Amino acid sequence: MFMQLTLSGLAQGAIYALIALSLTVVYRSTTVVNFGHGDFVMAGAFLSYVLVVLGGVAFLPAGALAVVAMFVLGVLFNRGLIRPILGGPHIGLALMCIAGGYVLRGIARMVWGREVLPMPPVFDMPPIFFGSLVITGDAIVIISTVLVLLLCFFGLLALTDLGKMVQAVYQSPRGARLIGLNVDRFNDVSWGVGAALGALGGILVAPVTLLHPDLGASFLIKGFAAMTLGGFGSLGGAVLGGVLLGVGEQYAGAYLDSSLIEITAYVIIVLVLFVRPQGLLGRKAVVKV
Amino acid sequence: MPDTTPLLQIRDLNVGYGQKPILRGASYDVVPGECLTLLGANGSGKSTAMNAICGFVKPTSGSILFEGQETAGQPPHRIFALGIAQVSQARDLFPDLSVEDNLRLGAMRRGGREMAKTLAELYERFPRLHERRRQVTRTLSGGEQQMVAIGRALMSRPRLLLLDEPSGGLSPQFCEEIAQIVDGLKEDGVTMLMVEQNLNLAFRLADRFIVLRDGVVVDGGDVRAMAGDHDAIVRSIYL
Repeated sequence: MFMQLTLSGLAQGAIYALIALSLTVVYRSTTVVNFGHGDFVMAGAFLSYVLVVLGGVAFLPAGALAVVAMFVLGVLFNRGLIRPILGGPHIGLALMCIAGGYVLRGIARMVWGREVLPMPPVFDMPPIFFGSLVITGDAIVIISTVLVLLLCFFGLLALTDLGKMVQAVYQSPRGARLIGLNVDRFNDVSWGVGAALGALGGILVAPVTLLHPDLGASFLIKGFAAMTLGGFGSLGGAVLGGVLLGVGEQYAGAYLDSSLIEITAYVIIVLVLFVRPQGLLGRKAVVKV
Repeated sequence: MPDTTPLLQIRDLNVGYGQKPILRGASYDVVPGECLTLLGANGSGKSTAMNAICGFVKPTSGSILFEGQETAGQPPHRIFALGIAQVSQARDLFPDLSVEDNLRLGAMRRGGREMAKTLAELYERFPRLHERRRQVTRTLSGGEQQMVAIGRALMSRPRLLLLDEPSGGLSPQFCEEIAQIVDGLKEDGVTMLMVEQNLNLAFRLADRFIVLRDGVVVDGGDVRAMAGDHDAIVRSIYL
């Protein structure tokens, strides 16, 4: 049972990791916490649903198209709505993100109301048995897709010139401008990447859950919890936090009480902020006086 | 005969933050190969002038011509591409990257084709940076970080190097090292515009000076011509 729970937790945690990572990408580039990010996740899931169910497109190209569309939406969102108010108070930025998210949610509600939509099964693979452990096709596709994506993402960041430039922008936007980088354009792309990664989370989860316009809200909280646990602003921490949250939810639900699954994220946020506010991989903020 | 066609021409430059004017009609030139120092009390507009030249603040009026091309109001990355690099007062390094990554990043948008050669030359000039090339930058001392900041700017092979308080916060020993570095750059013909609060250092390094007071150029001239009368410059700065 323990191994089965761990596997389910890893599959769920992979989605949380992706969402937390996408939130962190946006946060590191513009220091904006995208409170509308859950609705980007929902929009990705719905776009793939529309393409697969209504458009008759195969899941893989539909997912790719939805990711590209959400990348463009992320770029446009930053360029049109965030960049003009970036120097202003953070509450304004937070409200803009919430408003943007609610517009996406509103569009979904206008079209589908409060309907709950099932995506046809697409990860149609026979399960693999290891003794009593059952590895489902869903888990294989989700974990392997996220794993490949994370390897590409962190490999690019650590080993390429482009990755060094991204790190430069993250660590000192002014320093990045001093070496000739177009930081505004980097921020556009970061929002695009953030939206695309979040949407990919929604696309991967769409076939294994029921779609509805309010789908994003819970993923937003899970993303925040994962970020807080891993260390707010830490890219590696976001991934670690996501995986631990996914596994932790399964353990808490199985060994303590099934109702705990829903509140594990909130409990983690409270505990981390009390015990280790910088999270697992975050750096303690030092204020010189 | 040395080229006296100005590399940089500042004309009637007005810059303000909100309603508060900082530079009020400043005009001066920087000619190729010279080191010009901007002197002035705190708040006189020295760093603001640097930031306007680099595109970090937009002038309200006036002109900044670099090699005859208007750059006022252009974004920093465009101005950098023309060959203007700044070593800022806060250094603005990338603290979690290695010394070598910081240096290489300096050449990625300009001078990249000669990166390996420039890096080798730089390590010759700064042997200590070569020793510490794998070290994470935030673990370096203040003086070493200043060397990285200067090195990073030099990696782009700038046509004009702006130095904002290069000795700021450094020990006398490191000030001397920075002075030797600037001496070396002068010998290599690097054109520099410098803000420096340490007047002894400024007088030692600069060929010419101008004095800013409340955003206006009130004095200026050849440092060597004033060799015996630095007190007069100090008076024009503070009195």
